Amino acid sequence: MAKYIGLRLVQSVFVLFGLSILIFFIARVVPGDPARAMLGYLATQDQLQAVRVEMHLDKSFPVQYYYWLRDLFHGNLGRSAYTKRPVVTDLVQYVPATLELILFATLISLVIGQAMGILAGYFRNSWFDGVSRLVSYLGIATPSFVIAILLLFFFSQILHLAPSVGRIPIMTQAPPIRTGFMVIDSLLAGQFSTALVALSHLVLPAFSLAMIHIAQEGRITRSSIVENLGKDYITMHRVHGIRTSRLVFKYLLRPSIIPTVTVIGLDFAFLMSNAFLVELVFMWPGFARYALTTMLNKDLNAMVAVVLVIGLTFAVVNLLVDIVITFLDPTIRIQRRGG
Amino acid sequence: MRQERKADFLATLAQRRRTLAKGWYKYSRNPLSVLGLVLLVLIGLAAGLAPHITPYPAQAGAYTDFKNAGRPPSGEHLFGTDRIGRDVFTRVIFGYRFSLLLGIVVLGLGVAPGVVLGLLAGYHRGTWIESVIMRVTDVFLAVPPLVLALAITAMLTPNLLNEMFAIALLWWPWYCRLVFAVSSSMRSQFFVREAELSGASEGHILFKEMLPNCLAPILTKMTLDMGIVILLGASLSFIGLGAQPPTPCLGTMVADGAKRLPGEWWSTIFPALAIVIVILAFNLVGDGLRDVFAVEEV
Amino acid sequence: MALLEVNDLRVGYRIFEGTLNVLNGVRLSIDEGERVGLVGETGCGKTTTVKTILRVLPVPPAQVQGGEILYRGEDVLRMSARAARDLRRREVTAIFQDPLQALNPMFTVGTQLRDILKESRAGQDGGRLRRREIEKRCIAALQETGMPDPERIMTNYPSQLSGGMRQRICIAEALSREARLLLADEPTTNLDVTIQDQILRKLDELVDEKGTSVLMITHSMGVVRDLTQRLYIMYAGAMVETGKTKELLAQPRHPYTQGLMKSVPRLTGEGISDGIPGRIPNYLEPPSGCRFHPRCEHVMPVCKEAIPSFYPVDEDHFAACYLYRS
Repeated sequence: MAKYIGLRLVQSVFVLFGLSILIFFIARVVPGDPARAMLGYLATQDQLQAVRVEMHLDKSFPVQYYYWLRDLFHGNLGRSAYTKRPVVTDLVQYVPATLELILFATLISLVIGQAMGILAGYFRNSWFDGVSRLVSYLGIATPSFVIAILLLFFFSQILHLAPSVGRIPIMTQAPPIRTGFMVIDSLLAGQFSTALVALSHLVLPAFSLAMIHIAQEGRITRSSIVENLGKDYITMHRVHGIRTSRLVFKYLLRPSIIPTVTVIGLDFAFLMSNAFLVELVFMWPGFARYALTTMLNKDLNAMVAVVLVIGLTFAVVNLLVDIVITFLDPTIRIQRRGG
Repeated sequence: MRQERKADFLATLAQRRRTLAKGWYKYSRNPLSVLGLVLLVLIGLAAGLAPHITPYPAQAGAYTDFKNAGRPPSGEHLFGTDRIGRDVFTRVIFGYRFSLLLGIVVLGLGVAPGVVLGLLAGYHRGTWIESVIMRVTDVFLAVPPLVLALAITAMLTPNLLNEMFAIALLWWPWYCRLVFAVSSSMRSQFFVREAELSGASEGHILFKEMLPNCLAPILTKMTLDMGIVILLGASLSFIGLGAQPPTPCLGTMVADGAKRLPGEWWSTIFPALAIVIVILAFNLVGDGLRDVFAVEEV
Repeated sequence: MALLEVNDLRVGYRIFEGTLNVLNGVRLSIDEGERVGLVGETGCGKTTTVKTILRVLPVPPAQVQGGEILYRGEDVLRMSARAARDLRRREVTAIFQDPLQALNPMFTVGTQLRDILKESRAGQDGGRLRRREIEKRCIAALQETGMPDPERIMTNYPSQLSGGMRQRICIAEALSREARLLLADEPTTNLDVTIQDQILRKLDELVDEKGTSVLMITHSMGVVRDLTQRLYIMYAGAMVETGKTKELLAQPRHPYTQGLMKSVPRLTGEGISDGIPGRIPNYLEPPSGCRFHPRCEHVMPVCKEAIPSFYPVDEDHFAACYLYRS
C-alpha cells in the first residue's frame, strides 16, 4: 500500500514538472511584453530594460526555466506584475478563501447529491425519481455562472434575503486570520454572529458551484443503487431477515457510493474551474478571481504559479480519493496485494 | 469477380442499414432522447438558416438604435431589445451559429489526433511509445480544461478564432485517454493477434480492426462533448475572452445583460435559457446514444 | 397440519413485451421433519417458488396472481411485511445456488454472520443476543459445517475463499438460527464435482441433527434419491408428479418424468437417449391447459383445455395427467 502511494507521488511530481514546462513555454512564447505589463505605460526604456534583466527575459528559454526552478525551490515564485507583491503572499491570502468555498460546495454536493441519489434509486420510478431526474438534467445543462446569476437575482433582489457580495458585509469586523477560513476563524475568535454571517455569504456561491455536481453525482448514485438492489447478496440479506434500515445504510450504501467517490476527484477539478466564474459573479476575493485577473493581465509569474497550484491540488485530491476507495472497497485492496 | 464484389458491397450496405434501423428503434424507445434530437434539429436548422429566418438579421452585427433600447418582449421583438437596441431574438439565433461552429471546429480539430494517438498508445502498450504519449496526455489533463483554455486564450488576443484554437488544443487528450483504455484491452485479444500473424500492416490493424470497436464510445463522447464545449465557450465569453462585440455570443450576452438585472431581465434570461437548451439537447442525445450502444441485459 | 402448504400459487413477471406467467398453480406440502425434493429443469420456476415463499420476490416486476402459502396455517402472502420478516428470521431459511453472488463482497464473513444473529432475536424470550453469545454461535455455526479455523474465516472477505468454503458459509448462515424449514435451491450445482458430495453429506448430517424440514431443489436425480423421502417433479410452473421418492423413481408415471428418467445416462447398457423432443414453453404465451402437451406423445384433445389436477396412480403417488383420470 505504501509502495503504491509512493509510486503515485513520484508520478505526480513528474506530471507537475511537465505541466510547469508547458505553461512556462506558452507564457514565454506568446506576444506581449511582460516587462511593460509589470511597469505600466509610463515606464522608461531604462526601467523596462532593468526589469527585463531581473526577470531574465533576455536569456534563452531553458535558462529562464532554470532560474524559475531554482527560485521555486527557495519558495520564491516571483513577483506579481499586477499586485506588485510576491506571488506567494498573494497565494497565501487568496487560496484559503477559495478553499473554503470549494470545500463547502463539496460538502453540499455530497450531502444533497447522495441523499437524492439514494432516495431516487431506492424508490425508482416514483414521483421523486422523476423529479430528481428532471433536476439532474437541468443541473447538468446549466452553466454555473447562469445558476450564480439566477440565484443572486432571486435571493437578493427579489427576496431581499441573502447578501450579495464578498465574504462578510463591508461594515463587519473581520476576525484575526488563523486558518484563513472565515467561518472557522470567527468561531475561534468567539465572534459567533460574524461566523453566522460569513456562513450566509458562503451559501449562494457554494450552491452555484455545487449544483452541477449534485446533479451528476445524484444520477451516478441512483444508477449504482438500482444496480446493487438487483444483486443476489441483497436478496440474501433480506432472506436472512436483516432489517431494512441496516440493509440500506450499511449493506447497500457502501458499494453504491464507490462510483461517486471515484468521480469526486474529477469533480473537484471542475469545481476549481467553475470557481473562476462563480467568484466573478459574487465578487468573492478568492484565488480563482486572482488567477483570472492575472491571466487577463498577462501576469506571467502569477499565472505559472496559479496553474501549478491547481495542478498540485488536483493531484493531491486524486491521490486522496484513491486511498479512500481502497478503504471502502476491500476487493481492490485484495487485488492490489496480488491476492 | 466484379459480380462478387458488387454482391458483397450490397450485402454490407443492407447489413448496415439493418443495424441503423435497429439502432434507431432502440433509440426512439426513450422519449427524452427523441426530444433531444428534435431540439437539436430545430437548433441546427435555425442556426443554419439564421439570416433567412430572423426578423432583424442586420442587428446581429454592429448596430445601434438607442431609441429602441431596453424594450421588453413584444410582438415586434420576441425577446425584447438589449441595451443598445438590438433584437435579442435575432442575436440569440445567431449566437447559436457561433456556438455550434465552435463545437464543430473544436471537435473536428481535436478528436482525430487524440484518437490516433490513443490507438498508437494502446497498440504499443508497454513500450516507450505508450509512455511518452500517455505522460504528455497526463500533463494536459492535470489541470481542468477551463483553466488551460483561460490561460491560453488570455495570452493570445481574445477572439473567436483563438478561442477555438485554444480549446481544440486541449481537447485531444480526452480522446487519447478514452481510446487508449479501449484499445489497450483489445490489444491482447485474438482478432488482433490473428491480424498480426497474417501479416497485416500496423495501419490496417489500427484502423480496420481496433478503431471500429472504439467508435461507439467515441461517438457518444463527441455528442456529450458538444454540450461541454459549448458550455466552455459560453464561460469564456462570459468572462470576456471569447468572440468580441459586436459578434453575438451567448455567454457575452448573459454577461452584458446581467448588469441590468432585475430591470431588463430579458437580455440575460433568454440567452441563458438558450445555452441551457442547447446543452440539454446534446446531453439527451448523448445519453440516448449511450443507451443504444449499451449491451442489453435480459 | 403440514408445516408448509402451497396451494394453487400463480406468479407472473411484468416485462416490456407483456407478462411472463411463470407459476401456473404450484402446489406442494411439507410436514414437520420431512425431507422433500423438487426436481425440474432450469427455468421451470423453482427459484421463483422459493422466493415467493420467502416473500423476497421483487414485487414491481413480479406479481402474485393468486393462491396461498400456508406456514403452520398462516398465509404468508397476506402477512404484514414485518411478520414476513420475522418468519424469515426465525422459522424459514434458505440456501441458493451461487455462493459467490450470495455473499456481500465488501464485508467480512464475520460481519455478515454477526448481523444475522443480531437480528434473529434468538435470545431468551425472543430478546436480543449478547455480543459474546453471538460470537460463540457464529464460530459454532462455522465449525458445524466442517470449516477449519473458523476464527480466521470470520475475518476474511468472501473473495478470499474458495467456492466450497463460501457455500459452507451460506449453510452456516442459514442454519445458525435454528430454523424449522430450510429451502435449499440447488446448493451444489455451481460447485466442483469433487466438493458437491462433501457439502451434500454435511448438509444431510446437519438437518438430521437439528430435525429441520428441508425442501431440496435440484435437477439431479442422484441427489434426491439419496437425500429425500418425498419428491415433486416440476415442469413449466406447475407440479406434474409427486410421491415417495423411491417409488416415484422406480415407476415414473407422468410422461415428462418418464422422459426425464430416460434422459439420465446409465452405466448399464441402454446407451444415451435423445432427450425429450421440443423445448420448454415461452412463458409469454404458454400452451393452454397442460403445459407439457406440445411435447407429449400421449397428447389428447382434453389436455389442451384445462390443466389437469393430481390423479392418484398408486398409494401416495399422484400424477397430473389426464391419462390417469379414471
